Order: sequence, then structure tokens, then C-alpha cells
Amino acid sequence: MSEALPASASADRAHGERIYRRLAIVLGLLVTGYFVTVPLLGLNLAFHFYMMLWITMATAFNISSGFSGYMPFGYVAFYGVGAFTTAILVKKAGFAVLAALPLAGVAGVLLSLLMAPTLRLSGIYFAIVSLSLAGICRLTIANLPEEITGGSFGIQLGSRAAPVHAFYVMMAVMLLALASVLWLSRSRLGKALRAVRDDAEAADMMGVNVGWVRLQGWMMAAFFPALCGGLEAWYTNVVDTETAFNTLITAKTVIYAVAGGLGTVTGPIVGAIAMSWLDELVWRRFPLINLLILGVAVMMLVLFLPRGIVGTILRARPQWRRFIP
Amino acid sequence: MSGLIFNGLVNGVIVGALYALLGLSLSLLYGVLRVVNFAHGELVIAGSFVAYLLFHSLGLPPLLALPVAAVGFFLVGWGAYYVLIPRLARSDDPESMSFLLMYGFSIALAAAMLLLFGADSRSIDYSFDPISVPIGPVNVSTARLVALGVTVLITLAMGAFLFRTLPGKALRAAAMNREAIQIVGVNIVRLSALAFALAFGLAGVTGVLIALVFPAFSPFSGGEYSIIGFIVIVLGGLGNPVGALIAGVFFGVAEQMATVFLPQALAQIVGFAILVATVLVRPTGLFGFRALR
Repeated sequence: MSEALPASASADRAHGERIYRRLAIVLGLLVTGYFVTVPLLGLNLAFHFYMMLWITMATAFNISSGFSGYMPFGYVAFYGVGAFTTAILVKKAGFAVLAALPLAGVAGVLLSLLMAPTLRLSGIYFAIVSLSLAGICRLTIANLPEEITGGSFGIQLGSRAAPVHAFYVMMAVMLLALASVLWLSRSRLGKALRAVRDDAEAADMMGVNVGWVRLQGWMMAAFFPALCGGLEAWYTNVVDTETAFNTLITAKTVIYAVAGGLGTVTGPIVGAIAMSWLDELVWRRFPLINLLILGVAVMMLVLFLPRGIVGTILRARPQWRRFIP
Repeated sequence: MSGLIFNGLVNGVIVGALYALLGLSLSLLYGVLRVVNFAHGELVIAGSFVAYLLFHSLGLPPLLALPVAAVGFFLVGWGAYYVLIPRLARSDDPESMSFLLMYGFSIALAAAMLLLFGADSRSIDYSFDPISVPIGPVNVSTARLVALGVTVLITLAMGAFLFRTLPGKALRAAAMNREAIQIVGVNIVRLSALAFALAFGLAGVTGVLIALVFPAFSPFSGGEYSIIGFIVIVLGGLGNPVGALIAGVFFGVAEQMATVFLPQALAQIVGFAILVATVLVRPTGLFGFRALR
């Protein structure tokens, strides 16, 4: 296509692309540099572990909601299934944690394939059905025989805790998620996803395989939360249905992604970091009204910052849109 | 066994009537405003707590708490509309954003109730005289029968309002075509505020009745009622109040029957399964009504 453009326009585009690439690299280095030093300097490991977890969750959620236009309000299903897959494989089948984690990701993808028929729904129907499917997952796992899922006590992973290892693996997963979204935002698939989101019929007319494109986005969005669930199980050493399928996990993911701004790569990162700090500060000072503040914060976000931090900046400075990842 | 089935049927109708009320309020709101009220369950529980407070501090019986809750919640809803909804129209995707907004509202409301009342399950130890009435082979508690009676009355009143009065007809018209009704000179903002206030008022009333029918409630039991409400409105066709009524009773009976025939664990899944199946097979709901847009 670029040959058809006038020389100046194509040079301009190449220039924009260069800035975009550089910003993406800077972003990657900043994020990596920051998190690598946390264990080395003896900073708060748990806080930063969860910050990376939320960045990953929000980034993956963004693939579904920002790129594909689906709001899965039962997102926790993938997380919970990943957590239980890891715990069962490690504890009952004797897998090494690092071998179990990729399989947890696979379990997430398989679950997404099971849920694939819901992709023909849209908007509120999709949200409600997704919520119910998460309920079905929770109830199903809670009612499996106790020898497999540990019943209401959950599964203890025993003496496999290695917080620093888990931390670095979490970092690798986060970087993988970020790299995937960076690639997606410039790839053919990403453009097809956006086209399908904005107008599925028009995209179909242009030769986009709507169903397959949606399914690919959906599988990507399911893979990472399953890994996050497995990693969290490893980190905390215990899994049970109440915490692994807690709706607050969906809530936080959605809030963090929306706070940063859906549809951009930086949005969920900025949102997750900002909101993690806010959560930490609020929780430390007012542990009792933490939940109340979280709820009010969501309402405020929707009412006053519906495009999120990055989205609002980009709206004020549309010319930055092609530079900011 | 037949006694059990009959018991399930009677209780299914009673519980179903309440579910219908949940659905009626939700579908009114969705129909007129395209807002799915995620916080509906929490509002209902707030209604239960109003009844609880009135009874335990003022000695007011639950039946007298009904008008208090109705009027109080109606006014709160009227105010809440002007605070919450007009800003929403400015976002890119108002429907999803409204879901998120009410999600935040539900978290905040549950947390507020947790702070005010603690996490314990509460119940109102008020009993009617006689405590239960025999119907055929089973004894049904009077409180449940009273709740059923009140629900039927409210439903009839709502029906008369929606089908016989001008504001009611305007509400139904707005659910069918929001643009056209503005052309014929209806003030859509005031009408939407009315729908919002009615939905809140109904939630308050439902809460008082739920305190009568179900043994206990706690700040976090709201989520279940929201989900039940969603199931009912999807079954009945989003935004269709009559469909919601039928679907509510249908779902109540199905749920109670499931507890008779299936183990406890599976019975819980039945509701979700019905919802998913309905949406996948017949997205317009069981009563195939599609709003004109």
C-alpha cells in the first residue's frame, strides 16, 4: 500500500512507525527494568507480584474488550480454571510447577473454545452469559469429587513455594502478554479484529473471516488469565473455589483496564499500575472502607473518565495516536 | 413423592412471583433506558434491611414497611437518575458502560451495607398468626402467602399503570422505540427518570417481601438476586415486562422442582444452564418479542 502513497506521506508514515517502535522498546525496557530490580533491592515482593498480575490480566482483557469489543464479565472463569489445573496437575499428578503452568494456559484456551458459541452474542447478552458461565465453572469445580479438587478446603501445593521464582515467571508472562498485544496492535489480525468490532458485516464483505478472527482474539484473551491463575496458585500455595472464582477478580481486571483506557497497549499498564497504588494506599489507610472506595472509584471512572487515562490523553491529542503503543 | 412435587409447585409459584417482580423492575429499566441494573440485587437487599430496621427499632411490621420502602426507594431512584445517567450518554459505548457503572454501584452498596450492618445473616423474627396455612397436603407459611398476595397486587397495579395510564403507555412506547416517542412530544428525560425511580421503588418492595419469604439475608446475598433477575429478563425477552412476569414464575417453579428431583449441587446449576441455553437457542427470549429500534 505504501508505494501508492505520495513520497512525503509514506516518509511521514515510516517516521511515525519508527517513533512507535522506539516508544514500544522504551516502554518494554522501563517495565522490565523496574520489575527486575524489585527482588534485588528487597522491595515489597507481593505488591509487585500482584501489580504484574493485574497488568497481565488487564492487558489480556483488553484483547477481548478493546480489540474485539466483547466485555466478558465472567473473565474470572479462565483464571479459576488455570489455578485449579495447575494445582491438580502439581499436587495430584506430580507435575513440576513449570510444566503445569503451560498446561494451565492450554486449559484456558480449551475453555475459551467451549465458550466460543457465545461469541455470536454481543453487548449486554454476551456480558450476562459470560457471567453465568463463570458461575457454572465455579459450581462445577466446587462439586467435583473431593479427591480431585479438595472440596471446600481447596488444594495446598505443599512445599513448592518459591516466591522469587514465581515473581520472575510472572514477569516473563507479563512481558509475553505485552509483546503479544504490541504485535497484535500492528498485525493483520489486530486490524481485522478492530474492523470486525466496528462493523462485522463490512469486514465480512472485505474478505475477513469474521468467526475465525474473533475466535483467535478470544483464545488469546483466555490464555493469559489462565496462566495468571496458575501463577497465583503457585505464589500463594493454595487454591480454593471461593478465592479462585471470586468475582472481585473480574471486577479488578475490568476496572484496571478501563481506568487506563481500552484499545491501547499502554492503557491497561498505566491503569493497573495507577490503580494498584491507589488500592494499596487506600487499603493501608482505610482497610474497612476499601471495598466501598473501590465501588465508588468504578462509578467515578465511568462517569468522568469513560475513556480511561490514556484514552483521554489521546482524545485531547489525536496526533499522538500513531506514536503511542 | 407427590406431596414433595406439590410442595415444590406451591413454593415455586411463591418464589417465582418474587422472581417475576425482580424481572419486572429490571426489564422496565432495560426497556426504557438500555441500562442493565447490576446493582438490582443489592438494592433488593437494602429493601430487606429497611424492613429489618423498621421492625427492630420501631416495631413496625413488614407489611407497613412496604409503603415506606416503596416511597423511599422511588425518591432515591429519582435522584440517582439525574446523578448517574445523563453523563453516561457521553461515553462511546453507553450500554456496556452502564453495566460497568451499575457494577461499581453494586460493589459500593454491598460495602456500605457491610459497614452499617456487619457480615452476619439477618432475619426478621416477625410471624403471622397462624404461622402456617394448610393447602391440600402441604402446610405453607402465612408469611409466604401474604408475600404472594402482595406480589400479585403489585403486579396488577403495575399492569394497570403500564396499560391504562398515559405515563405507563409512554413507558412501554419508549421501550419499543425511543426516538419515535420524542417526536410525538414526550419528555424523554422525565420519562427515563420515572422508569429509574419505579425500578428502584420496585426493588425496595421486593426486598421487604424477600425478607418475608426467604429465611435470611446478608449484605452479600444481593449478587444471587441480580443473577436470578438477569435469567428472568433474558428468558422473558429483554425489555418485555409481561415476558418477565411469565418467565419469573416459570423459573421459580423450575428451580424448586430442580431441588426436588436433583441433588443440591446440580440444582444450583440449573438456573445458569437455562439462561445459557435460552440465549444460545433463542436470544429474543421464550416469548419472541423484539423491540423495534
